[in-house]
Amino acid sequence: MDSNSYDAIVVGTGISGGWAAKELTGQGLKTLVLDRGRMVRHGDYPTAWLNPWELPYGGRPTREDLRHQPVAARSGYVGSQASKHWFVDELDNPYVEKQRFDWIRGYQVGGRSITWGRQSYRWSPMDFEANARDGIAVDWPIRYNDLAPWYDHVEAFIGVSGSAENLAQLPDGKFLPPMELNCVEKQFQRKVAEKFGRALIIGRAAHLTAPLAHSPQRGTCQFRNMCIRGCPFGAYFSSNSSTLPAAEKTGNMTLRPNSIVYELIYDEKRNRASGVRVLDAETGAHTEYFARVIFLNASTFGSAFILMNSISTRFPTGFGNDSGEVGCNIMDHHLEVGAGAYVDGFEDHYYSGRRPNGFYIPRYRNIGKDKRDYLRGFGYQGSASRQDWPSLMHDTALGAQLKQKAQKPGPWHISLGGFGEILPYHENRVTLDRGVKDKFGLPQLVFDAGLKQNELSMRKDMANDAAEMLTAAGFRDVRTSDNVIGVGLGIHEMGTARMGRDPKTSVLNAWNQVHACKNVYVTDGACMTSAACQNPSLTYMALTARAANHAVEELKHMNL
Amino acid sequence: MTLTRREALKRVAWLMGGTVSASAILAIQKGYSATTPAGRKPSILTPPQMSIVSAVAEIMIPRTDTPGAIDVGVPGFIDLMLAEVYAQTDREHYLAGLADFDAAAQTEQGKKFLALEPAQQLALVRKFHDPAVIEDQRAARLRDDLQRPFILMTKELTLLGFFTSEAGATQVLQYVAVPGSYHACLPVEQAGNGKTWAGEPGLRF
Repeated sequence: MDSNSYDAIVVGTGISGGWAAKELTGQGLKTLVLDRGRMVRHGDYPTAWLNPWELPYGGRPTREDLRHQPVAARSGYVGSQASKHWFVDELDNPYVEKQRFDWIRGYQVGGRSITWGRQSYRWSPMDFEANARDGIAVDWPIRYNDLAPWYDHVEAFIGVSGSAENLAQLPDGKFLPPMELNCVEKQFQRKVAEKFGRALIIGRAAHLTAPLAHSPQRGTCQFRNMCIRGCPFGAYFSSNSSTLPAAEKTGNMTLRPNSIVYELIYDEKRNRASGVRVLDAETGAHTEYFARVIFLNASTFGSAFILMNSISTRFPTGFGNDSGEVGCNIMDHHLEVGAGAYVDGFEDHYYSGRRPNGFYIPRYRNIGKDKRDYLRGFGYQGSASRQDWPSLMHDTALGAQLKQKAQKPGPWHISLGGFGEILPYHENRVTLDRGVKDKFGLPQLVFDAGLKQNELSMRKDMANDAAEMLTAAGFRDVRTSDNVIGVGLGIHEMGTARMGRDPKTSVLNAWNQVHACKNVYVTDGACMTSAACQNPSLTYMALTARAANHAVEELKHMNL
Repeated sequence: MTLTRREALKRVAWLMGGTVSASAILAIQKGYSATTPAGRKPSILTPPQMSIVSAVAEIMIPRTDTPGAIDVGVPGFIDLMLAEVYAQTDREHYLAGLADFDAAAQTEQGKKFLALEPAQQLALVRKFHDPAVIEDQRAARLRDDLQRPFILMTKELTLLGFFTSEAGATQVLQYVAVPGSYHACLPVEQAGNGKTWAGEPGLRF
């Protein structure tokens, strides 16, 4: 073995790449872990300790910031002075939008595991059966029971706070103690149960509400709710705080930041990928690295890019693209639709601490006897809080009276927003334009994806149901919202190298191996065959752990 | 009549009940606050414009038993936001609105805004502010790319600059950097000192 050869290569260090690194190194494989972005060690969180008065511009992005991050600004939050450094400079990393596409990227070690929403829900048996039942796209090649032990494995390691609820559509996991609903949320919970028979639960979130013996570098949640800045306590799960330190501890990991993987090297004689080609983001140097097994965890479009950009005689339209499905079937969760209301009463109650979590209403549409004019469903995330000074924009109080009003906790307000399933449509796709290059000389991705009738019909329910529940709960001034979004804004992109049973219609098999080249595994969002409506990160982690352990076994049996 | 800086300061001093703290004078002269780089000089607003903006901000959030808008550097913060955060069109819109506001003082009271008695100044602010609040509330339901009039841009930036300042967050509101725990339902008086919690506002409000 020369100095550029390893047992395994992992491309990407986000939610799924960190897990591939941890599992492969933990099983003794010498593993090269590559990330295209800069190094971020646990604790390297430059804004984590800043008080509100230490953030410039009241936290808002400047014109110059917006020039560099116009897409990130569409989110309405990631471009803040507290978190803008975790998101890419879009001038340096351009892409083409045939339809508006909100691609929100974090290129650094840890990827978007630093800034994720931490909501951690299992998929249910019905989610894995949905495509087959509805005759949509292709069937998942696995079922819930294939993944259940790996959900256990992941939850036990990352720490997920939550409550056991015994719901068929949202299986329970291995939970740390749940966070608490506040009194208005509890009132809403009672009303929603009474009047609609629907569940409302505290969010299941990857925060430590109790210590984890195996991760002494992580502390418990301090209720600062500044998570997006990076947590100096390591209280929520990120690659930086959890999986990468575990991988490093094995002594088997070589972590190389600033390493842009742009191509897989294909060995026609052996029908295996022999390695990857890397462009150094700082020096521009090109290097080849070799390994027996390769995990692509570069994010849904990052991994699709590498596949599409890896052309050989065997794979003339992209690596593993015999089916023609690479880059197709883009999914996300559609959101920015829901309702809010004011709540009378509870004026003598308040809370202390900033809870980094809200409530969750699990899917109830198209379940059991419920039947709508669209397929699948949505869940809601929301919270109740007392209004504070921004609400005084719409108050005529001025002067000393304004200060007094600001000082006194304002009326309670509650809001909830839907996360809806997007179906996999072949024509919702991303392609490579070799005529348009970025500053590294690499071709740009071209996005052409949109919501269709199923999603638009669902959005009507997402707004109306929210308003109906708030009204039935007795809350006042109920107001719905339904904003125009681009696909991608959910930051739950999926589907560009889907798993399936048939190599003719899918890219990956039941173990996340490329059908036509078994030593390449893709275990990030690209692998997803359908989107369900639950936040997907926990499922990526479980699929990755399962695939990594499969790869180790296959290597032992000399099958790769 | 163009006010000199000294005259402008005297006007503001009068507005604040005859006393101006050294820090407030510095804030007007240098336009700095905790959220504004120390030593930064206003680059958009002229001294007379700074004086009007300072006076309006102080009417909205005056010094009481706790610091007010000028004490925490809101005028300099507004200039900084106009210079670096707002687009050219918003800036022009703001300056035109400011000129209209001052002209209204002349038309209605026969004097520039800064030459009015405090009660007259408050009345003019009210005359612009109160209908704008109702209009803003109505319009915000329809669209969110609202370009607010001068009086509400000033209010928005005064609220933002003040309540994200250390004095605003810790003396008027209460702030705890590391709460350590979450209590979901407490009697208000047991939630810290019972005042509203400070925190990070959304990027728009």
